[in-house]
Amino acid sequence: MRGFGELETVVMDRIWDSGDTVTVRDVFEGLKTTREIAYTTVMSTMDNLYRKGWLDRDRQGKAYLYWPALSREEYSARLMREAMDSGGDPGLVLTRFLEQIDDGESTRLRKVVRRWASGTDSG
Amino acid sequence: MSIAACLLLYGLVVATLGPRLLTRWTRPGVAPRLGVAVWLVAIISVPASWAAAAVLALVAPTLGSHQPVRILDSCLAALEAVAAGDAGVALQAGLFALTTGAVAAAGFLVTRIVRWLLAARARTHDHARMARMAGRQLPGSDAVVVESPQRLAYCVAGRPHAIVVSQGALDTLDAPHLAAVLAHERAHLDGRHHLVLAATRGLAGTLPKVPLFTTGAAEVARLLEMCADDTAARAHGRQTVLGALLALSGAATLPTGALGATGVGVLDRAERLAEPVGFAQRWRARALLTTTLALLTAGPVITGALSATGLAFCDPSLAFCDPLTIAR
Repeated sequence: MRGFGELETVVMDRIWDSGDTVTVRDVFEGLKTTREIAYTTVMSTMDNLYRKGWLDRDRQGKAYLYWPALSREEYSARLMREAMDSGGDPGLVLTRFLEQIDDGESTRLRKVVRRWASGTDSG
Repeated sequence: MSIAACLLLYGLVVATLGPRLLTRWTRPGVAPRLGVAVWLVAIISVPASWAAAAVLALVAPTLGSHQPVRILDSCLAALEAVAAGDAGVALQAGLFALTTGAVAAAGFLVTRIVRWLLAARARTHDHARMARMAGRQLPGSDAVVVESPQRLAYCVAGRPHAIVVSQGALDTLDAPHLAAVLAHERAHLDGRHHLVLAATRGLAGTLPKVPLFTTGAAEVARLLEMCADDTAARAHGRQTVLGALLALSGAATLPTGALGATGVGVLDRAERLAEPVGFAQRWRARALLTTTLALLTAGPVITGALSATGLAFCDPSLAFCDPLTIAR
């Protein structure tokens, strides 16, 4: 499972970076130079990505033309929104280095640091 | 039966006094790991003692024989007499229905918690996968950089886990600060904090009316942040962790009221990093928490033993564990 997920990532990366619609052949040709891979593997990976909603496609003659359902930036934004809002969604278990803090807390935080800094200067 | 009553009472005492006392004792975060242990034992011991009480109440009538019911006997003792057939078939059937209802409710709750945990797991793993898809590998580390002006760093469990740093955070942090943040997040993953968080949140989400569970979930989350801070501080220094906290906080500042309050007590974390308590105070806190931990662990056992030997206020005459009673 893990290996497959990794291949999905690599394929998505390529498609996002290409900035254009691609065929399975395009992706396969690109991947072939860096790793040993079968054409059918790439095809099933892209089919999977389509069914999972990461890619859209349109039939063009015999082959499908694929393109990303959302740009990398749009996915990133969605991801960040999800991570920021995770406080309101207990189902998403993630540990943030820092929660959002308001101005009052930020000021008090700075006071703590100032106090600490002056302490270390004098001591 | 009296053991069941005592266990019930024990659970009630821990559930009532626990949230306030444990919050007060663990809040400064002097020994966060010990604090987490105390909270978890308290959270587990309450449903465990209630479950044990229910089982005993169910089993006791079949073991006990007709015993004198005194006026001051606990309510449950009287119920036992009812179940044993002293008060008619109708009452007996009622009690049986009540017990069945309690067991069914427990089963329902367990199902809901399990379902919640599975859903949370799917959500969380999805997020980790999406982060790895949309992000770029941070050179020389296992973290993923996501293109975003926001300044965010977090970790999320998955297969594999993901440590996510936004481009905004990356731009804000210098190399030592970034290393400290990554160490903090790695400490969460290495310590399997996400499992603890999922379990406590699942319980709190399923039983939101029980302060022990809701307060417990929040406090455990706070203490786990402190644990991760400590691990990061051991490797990179307290100042560096504090610096990273400050660097990211400046950017994360929002207008008052936006996006809720701090769940993980950034100020507390900053304070203990800036001004760690002295040796004596640290040991005092450890002793207090260790004692609490021991009492919570041994509590149900002691309760049971006391009532079985007749030392406790729980009526000894009804102790069905008493070998003499059973022999008769």
